[in-house]
Amino acid sequence: MRKQNTNYFCILLISIFFVITDVKAENHYRIVTHPDVNEVSITKNYLRAIFSMRLRTWPNGLVIKVFVLPDDNPLHHRFSKEQLSLFPYQLRQSWDRLVFSGTGQAPITVASDEEMYNRIKNTPGAIGYLDTSYIDDEIHVLQIK
Amino acid sequence: MCYRLNSRQLFSIIALLKALTILSAFMLSMHTSSVFAQEKTNGTGLGNENPESSTWFTAKNLLDNLQIQGFASQAFIATSDNDVFGNTDEGGSFGFTELGLNALLRPLPRLQLSGQMLSRRAGKDNNGTPRLDFAFFDYTIYSHETNQFGIRFGRLKNPFGFYNDTRDVPFTRPSILLPQSIYFDRTRNVGLSADSIQFYGETSNAKWGDFTVQFGITRPIVDDRDTEISLLGPNLTGNLSPDVSLIGRGLYETPNKRFRFAVSGVWFNANYKPGVNDPISVSPGSIQFSPIYISAQYNTERWSLTSEYALRKFRYSNFEDSRLDSQDFFGESFYFQGEYRFSHKWEALIRYDMLFTDRSDRDGSEFAAATKIPAHTRFAKDLTVGLRWNITPRIMARLEYHRINGTAWLAPLDNPDAFDTTKNWNLFAAQLSFRF
Repeated sequence: MRKQNTNYFCILLISIFFVITDVKAENHYRIVTHPDVNEVSITKNYLRAIFSMRLRTWPNGLVIKVFVLPDDNPLHHRFSKEQLSLFPYQLRQSWDRLVFSGTGQAPITVASDEEMYNRIKNTPGAIGYLDTSYIDDEIHVLQIK
Repeated sequence: MCYRLNSRQLFSIIALLKALTILSAFMLSMHTSSVFAQEKTNGTGLGNENPESSTWFTAKNLLDNLQIQGFASQAFIATSDNDVFGNTDEGGSFGFTELGLNALLRPLPRLQLSGQMLSRRAGKDNNGTPRLDFAFFDYTIYSHETNQFGIRFGRLKNPFGFYNDTRDVPFTRPSILLPQSIYFDRTRNVGLSADSIQFYGETSNAKWGDFTVQFGITRPIVDDRDTEISLLGPNLTGNLSPDVSLIGRGLYETPNKRFRFAVSGVWFNANYKPGVNDPISVSPGSIQFSPIYISAQYNTERWSLTSEYALRKFRYSNFEDSRLDSQDFFGESFYFQGEYRFSHKWEALIRYDMLFTDRSDRDGSEFAAATKIPAHTRFAKDLTVGLRWNITPRIMARLEYHRINGTAWLAPLDNPDAFDTTKNWNLFAAQLSFRF
């Protein structure tokens, strides 16, 4: 009897553990755009091309404005690894190559989540990533296929 | 000498002005077409007001699309023997300073204007005078999803290897001194940038990765004394003039950039016009330099392993002088480098770099027997260890130590007498760099 109880307890613990990590991984942040960007979802390759600064316009012709948090920001690390499968140092290297050979531009670095929220809300064509607690009706959430 | 430099600079300025005139005409025509395009989209009721074209001429809009950045860097270099960027073998020198200012303007999604000024103080050939590093326009002719094709026109960085395009920006280099076997600082101006027309194509595939191809027709820059001495020796006093040259690079990266591979090639041509004071009589000859570079890199979160190989063909012809015309040989360069990131703040570097001026005479013995010049001037093997500290994303400090056997990449202006150079030597360097 006692043994069975322990088993149930273990199962319960494991399921809680999974549920919690699942919620954490899913709800921490979102890829967001200015509402004018009327895309519902884009592919991972398309997202990577945007953040590698190789794409210049959205399909509707609007100029893409890319916003990122500083290189040493934890959310920036999570975003680049999980969404782009790139390490932050790889992103910085490819942006530096574009900028200092003159063949492209770098994303705009914002100092904080608040600034990210304001820039995304007020810049047509803007794309970035935001902690879910900052997301409201004035920000458009983009799905990644 | 002075007059010659001035007349050449004048030529460059005139060429630049011409380019700017063409550019403004071009931009004006682009503007009219973009307004037209906008009217069309509005007509079909597709979209939101497009601020890019409707306020094209307003200052705020232009400023939104302008990026300005720069860097400043100061190094201290000490050597046991031989001079690198100043008098470094008597206690060291602060003779290596790099400053850069860069402006990128994208007035239209398909058009970018880019310019960079550079000041480099490094030894006798680089006295810190600011120079135009690049200035060009880049127009994307075709763009569909992740595929692009375009053209660049103006003074451009020469695309070869992994590092040449950004070699003067300390933050983009793996070390204070780039592997000298491939990125010579002694003939740097030849390699650095050139007046060119370049075509480029990029394509990206979710499964296979990214391909980038660049191909340029160039007019190389060969008018500095260090380059002339490196290519012709110190005694010939005439001028080198550029001839039509070609450059190209193909780059492949896996989707997550774990693997990066590049093949680059240069076909460089220059002509020599003999000087009146030349001690030996030579005819107007030509120099052909055609290196091929193969580059590979593997990246993980902590490691970056990089290797590059170059086979460099030199050919001197029509000088009517047996010593010059017999210069028809292959040089060889190779390095293997490991970078290890302890954290995003601390990185370590280890590298072994080899240069052979003539691969059929790797130890320089045949050269020494024929010329009586020391054999060690024909090779260099450099073992480097280094440490990088990213104090903030904007400030970086570096330390590095080189154990070097051979002097093949030493700058001749700083070390005019080959008999005064030492075969086995050490180099220590420290650097502080800032970017904004």
